[in-house]
Amino acid sequence: MNILFYLAAIVAVISTLMVILEFNPVQALLYLVVSLLSIAVIFFLLGAPFAAALEVIIYAGAIMVLFVFVIMMLNLGPQSAEEERPQHPGRLWFGPFLLSAALLAELVFVLRGGGGAVLHEVSPEEVGMALFGPYLLGTELASMLLLSGLIGAWHLGRGFRSAHWSKAGEKEEGLL
Amino acid sequence: MTPAGLLALLPLICLGAAAVLVMLLVAVRRTYTGAAVLTLVGLGAAFLTLPFTAGANPHRLFLLMLNGYTAFYAGLLVLAAAASVLMSFSYMSNYLQNREEFFILLLLATLGATVLAASDHFATFFLGFELLSVSLYSLIAYPYMTQGHIEAAIKYLVPASVSSAFLLFGMALIYAWSGQMEISRIGFQLRSIQSHAGHQWMIAGLSMIVVAIGFKLALAPFHLWAPDVYQGAPAPVTAFIATVSKGAVVALLLRLFTPADIQTGATLFYVFSLMAAVSMIAGNLLALLQNNVKRILAYSSIAHLGYILVAFLAGGARAIDAVTFYLVTYFIATLGSFGVISALSSPGREMEDLADYRGFSRRNPWLTGVFTVMVLSLAGLPLTAGFIGKFYLALAGVGAALWTLVIILVLTSTIGLYYYLRILVALFVAAPEGLRPEPPFSYSNTFLLALLTFLLFWLGVMPTPIIALIRTMVR
Repeated sequence: MNILFYLAAIVAVISTLMVILEFNPVQALLYLVVSLLSIAVIFFLLGAPFAAALEVIIYAGAIMVLFVFVIMMLNLGPQSAEEERPQHPGRLWFGPFLLSAALLAELVFVLRGGGGAVLHEVSPEEVGMALFGPYLLGTELASMLLLSGLIGAWHLGRGFRSAHWSKAGEKEEGLL
Repeated sequence: MTPAGLLALLPLICLGAAAVLVMLLVAVRRTYTGAAVLTLVGLGAAFLTLPFTAGANPHRLFLLMLNGYTAFYAGLLVLAAAASVLMSFSYMSNYLQNREEFFILLLLATLGATVLAASDHFATFFLGFELLSVSLYSLIAYPYMTQGHIEAAIKYLVPASVSSAFLLFGMALIYAWSGQMEISRIGFQLRSIQSHAGHQWMIAGLSMIVVAIGFKLALAPFHLWAPDVYQGAPAPVTAFIATVSKGAVVALLLRLFTPADIQTGATLFYVFSLMAAVSMIAGNLLALLQNNVKRILAYSSIAHLGYILVAFLAGGARAIDAVTFYLVTYFIATLGSFGVISALSSPGREMEDLADYRGFSRRNPWLTGVFTVMVLSLAGLPLTAGFIGKFYLALAGVGAALWTLVIILVLTSTIGLYYYLRILVALFVAAPEGLRPEPPFSYSNTFLLALLTFLLFWLGVMPTPIIALIRTMVR
């Protein structure tokens, strides 16, 4: 059991380091997906399959897709497209592939009954009972936190109006 | 949740509801004055419902501790937030982009600060901490089309995120060792920490939490972000960071470490003494050569938090009284100084250079008078609240025989006089040519500054009522 944990943890550390060290944004994103998957495997090993599933669905699934969209929409131009063209074909996918293969092997091993049983498996029902029972206030506060992030992102992400006028009568040029 | 528990929660509910209501108002119709008034009404409602929180028997709602202590700190934070709202009303009035969201973010940040002051569990500790930080990122960058604000927001974002990561890691280590997430119980466990096996984990976890708290309070080894952020943030937001954000963390610091009863010679004692000493020395020395009023006030606030740590280390009930009273005086003087600065500034036109204030006494005697009094209170001169506060701090320090720290406190606050006097000298020297235009008269600013000046003298001349209030509520 411990060995499985350390294996997943090593994968997490390596992939997270690669996210920072990689120059190519798409490749960095691939490593980020692997990093999130390895966290999900750690959750699974600790007896929280629901949290593991959420990690995969929400982070590795939904949020990563948004990241990819954003990078595509940034439309970095021909120069960055040139940089993104792989100099060594095959190398691009090899690192993330190797790391996620290790995670997959681990998962298959555990699902086939290896590695011993966990102490207590937390079911989705228990998670829901905790969130809307003793931790209700925390859940409500988390919604306020999301509201704050949403309003901030909306305000800061609106972009500049073409020009605006201050009351002193001077014209200040925006960036757009 | 019982009805009594809900009643005790009313201040927090008011703050959250006010944020949502302002958002709905903005969605229906954009009125700047309406949003500001609704924000003030929400803060007022939160303040008026505080007696329910302070009620006779303390309510423990598993995640929050609601008692007199919480009510006093929440009241202080809510009033300081209302002062920031009044300041920003005239400050933002010339801003021609969307201005209403500013108040929603301010309300949410206040909610975060209040939760932090009330938290009794790592979950609410972290959520309050994050709610405060996330709202502040956007508040600092709010007038983003003018230069410097985005830069300041990034400079706040990076240390604040790193400190959140430290906080989480520290919480995980403490939970792994003690199986506890409730702050008051952890405090009691700390008392006998040396006798337990494997207490190094607890110490490691606590040091990480102390790092996070140090970032938020801008204590000396973690203060590097403070001057840049103070300079780059809009003046009312700077006032908010200097008061509400720090006050909430001080409330939490007291709640976490007062039961621990840190004794002279314990590891934590040395950690905090070092932070206090370095903050006092670095804050005061680095302020000497600054030419920007907001940066001077940033360094001065680093030093003030160092002073507060001296009384905090004294321990016991007297320490809580002294820290709380000093915090009140620091709030008044800081809000007053930034109130003057923001009365003279607007987005993109911060009046922050010392040179801008040359000859200011001729042009605007009323604002000059207020600024002078506030700065003298920060310096701790008699007749102002700052003197009584500093006296109280030194008394607590002497009572616990913390001689080294008290001597550093006295010496560094003497050095501090120099840069406070530099501000005053600038105000009263002859005016140069080519002055900036005067700001228009604003009722909200005049009311706020008059009230703060009155409070400053009242606390400086007759501090007994407020000290009695602190004693009955906070203990």
